[in-house]
Amino acid sequence: MITEIAPAPHRPVRPPAAARARHRPWGEVPRWQIYLPLSVYLLFTLVPFYWILLFALRPAGSTSLVPWPVTFDHFHKVWTERSFGVYFTNSVYVGVATLVLTTVVALAGGYALARFDFRAKRAFLLALLCSQFVPGALLLVPLFQIFARLHLINSLASVILAETVFQLPLSMILISGFIRNVPYALEEAAWVDGCDRFTAFRVVVLPQLRPGLIAVGSFAFVHAWNHFLFALMFLSDQSKQTIPVGLNTLMSADSVDLGALAAGGIVAAVPVVIVFAFIQKWLITGFGAGAVKG
Amino acid sequence: MQKTIRGSGRRRRAAGAAALGCVLALTATACGDDGSGSAGDKGGEGSGKGTITFWDNNGGVRTDVWKQIIADFEKKYPDIKVRYVGVPAASVQSKYDTAIQGGGLPDVGGVGTAMLAEVAAQGALEPLDSRISGSELSGKLNDKFLDSVKSAGGDGKTYTVPTSANNGTLWYRTDLFEAAGLDAPTTWTKFYAAADKLTDKDKNAFGYTIRGGEGSIAQALDAMYGQSGITSFWNGDKTTVDDPRNVAALEKYVALYKKDTPSADVNNDFTKMVAQWDSGSIGMLSHNLGSYADHEKALSGKFRGIPNPTLDDGTRVQVSNPVDGLALFKSSKNKAAAWKFIEFAASHASNSKWNESAGQVPANTEAAQDAWVQSSEPTKLAAEALNGSTTEIVQLPYYLPDWNTVSKADNEPAFQKVLLGKESAKDFLSTLADQLDKAQADWKQNH
Repeated sequence: MITEIAPAPHRPVRPPAAARARHRPWGEVPRWQIYLPLSVYLLFTLVPFYWILLFALRPAGSTSLVPWPVTFDHFHKVWTERSFGVYFTNSVYVGVATLVLTTVVALAGGYALARFDFRAKRAFLLALLCSQFVPGALLLVPLFQIFARLHLINSLASVILAETVFQLPLSMILISGFIRNVPYALEEAAWVDGCDRFTAFRVVVLPQLRPGLIAVGSFAFVHAWNHFLFALMFLSDQSKQTIPVGLNTLMSADSVDLGALAAGGIVAAVPVVIVFAFIQKWLITGFGAGAVKG
Repeated sequence: MQKTIRGSGRRRRAAGAAALGCVLALTATACGDDGSGSAGDKGGEGSGKGTITFWDNNGGVRTDVWKQIIADFEKKYPDIKVRYVGVPAASVQSKYDTAIQGGGLPDVGGVGTAMLAEVAAQGALEPLDSRISGSELSGKLNDKFLDSVKSAGGDGKTYTVPTSANNGTLWYRTDLFEAAGLDAPTTWTKFYAAADKLTDKDKNAFGYTIRGGEGSIAQALDAMYGQSGITSFWNGDKTTVDDPRNVAALEKYVALYKKDTPSADVNNDFTKMVAQWDSGSIGMLSHNLGSYADHEKALSGKFRGIPNPTLDDGTRVQVSNPVDGLALFKSSKNKAAAWKFIEFAASHASNSKWNESAGQVPANTEAAQDAWVQSSEPTKLAAEALNGSTTEIVQLPYYLPDWNTVSKADNEPAFQKVLLGKESAKDFLSTLADQLDKAQADWKQNH
């Protein structure tokens, strides 16, 4: 009978202190080493926002470092006297219309890029990418002439169209990445079950694209909301102007009403902050999936 | 595995044909008639009735007063309607440039002397000499302002009806000066003495705030010529900016940086500079009349605005400030109505109303006598300085198409180097002089 002697249980050797410190897992890092740099970074990031709030909420001429007594005069001024109510509405129109148009067209284009093989597809993709390097200012004059022929100058439609066109290339590439991630077999199964291509797309593919749609839509909305140049050039009537142009009019050649400018800045920023707060999770998932896996 | 579908040849041909059709349709719409309102369009006198478009080159802050003037105009001329477009001051040049190339120019637009040469050189403006001489405005416009406008046009013609002028102003804190027992900084000697005495870095108190960022060159030139006493920008075909007296003056001026000014001043544009002065403990600020309302809000009763300091013998030398004006665009289809609006806006009542709101010096000589000018000390003193016989004005070459580039993008970073001690004032002025001499030579070749 052969007996084997079991080896003595291995006694773990404790690594030296320096090595322990080098290989310390994240969970064992003292909390202050995480929170201190984060706090400094947070402070660095938030101070400008505090400064905007301070100027917006303290009375004109005050040099106090706290917004007390609080006044909403600057908000009232920009909203009523400086027509920010009108600019806000116009910006909402432009932002939402750009979002809808960009998303719908990017879906169609992205589907074609993902599912169809056609001649010069790679060249087309390259052209889409290259179009991102063309600054909007370079195309101002031709765009102006085209919109003038179409009688779209001084119409929000001109800004919506221009914004959509500039958003489309990147949006199409992103959406096509998402669609490629949806197994083609699912669509085929839907066809076997009697769906036509559009119904299969609507019922099977579209629900899988939610993060991508949110990413592309929010990106289009925020870009259209913040963009200054097209609105400045294509719109003339004050009743048609958007928030970025309105903000710019608060700075004259030699005088700036800082209180009004800060209040206007908050009016301009709040919708974007709200949009990002609600969609942050989807946005990160969306860009990650569309860009990296695509 | 990802499958792809190749569309049938027939479908692809149909899609290709549709795409080609779209491209051709868009090309046709884009390349048809170039429409109206571009620089090449000669326009016409029109009926003198109907709607005209007016672009305000400082839209926003001045919108209310313009709307009042337009309402008064439409009351006087009920058959003319004015469409007001407020363009942000920082973007007005690009808006004009785009419209000159692409169409859509207004009938009337605000054009200051700082950009007049560039707009006029593109053939977009109607010369106004004969219209002015035959109008009620003849003899009522400030001669010096008219000279500035003519000079800035580049070819001796008058392209705008001047409406107002700004002027370099030395704003100082009367409360701090009184507490320190200092006289008003009316001379450069007193200015430098006050800057030193009011500086106490431990208490975050400074004597002066210098402009080191955007717009720094014009301000530095003002201080330089003011101290050197040189009264002309040109000596023949060569600029005087690198004259040894100017070099010495600039060296003295930039030596204030950090000694008597906050170190952050190296990035000061007018916004930061004015905000800093209005909310801190800084004795003096050089800026134009445009910030008067901001100071009044923040420091009411604790400041004064006086023209730039004089030399010890009482001579004041200052550089020309931009003169704002109204231009009639060549492409206007209704020049008769547009001219009526310009005449009305530059008339005594309207010009007075506008300048009182802006706190600037009226171009209409009758408006300049109005009571509000006499009661607004900075404006009154600026008007006296501009019109006075003891003030020498060095005319900056606004007529050079390259002036804006040379005096801004090309040299503002270099001026920051001078402030930081990385370049000498002499080298800086020498480079600036070379660029200006070349720009002048190029301009002369074409005129």
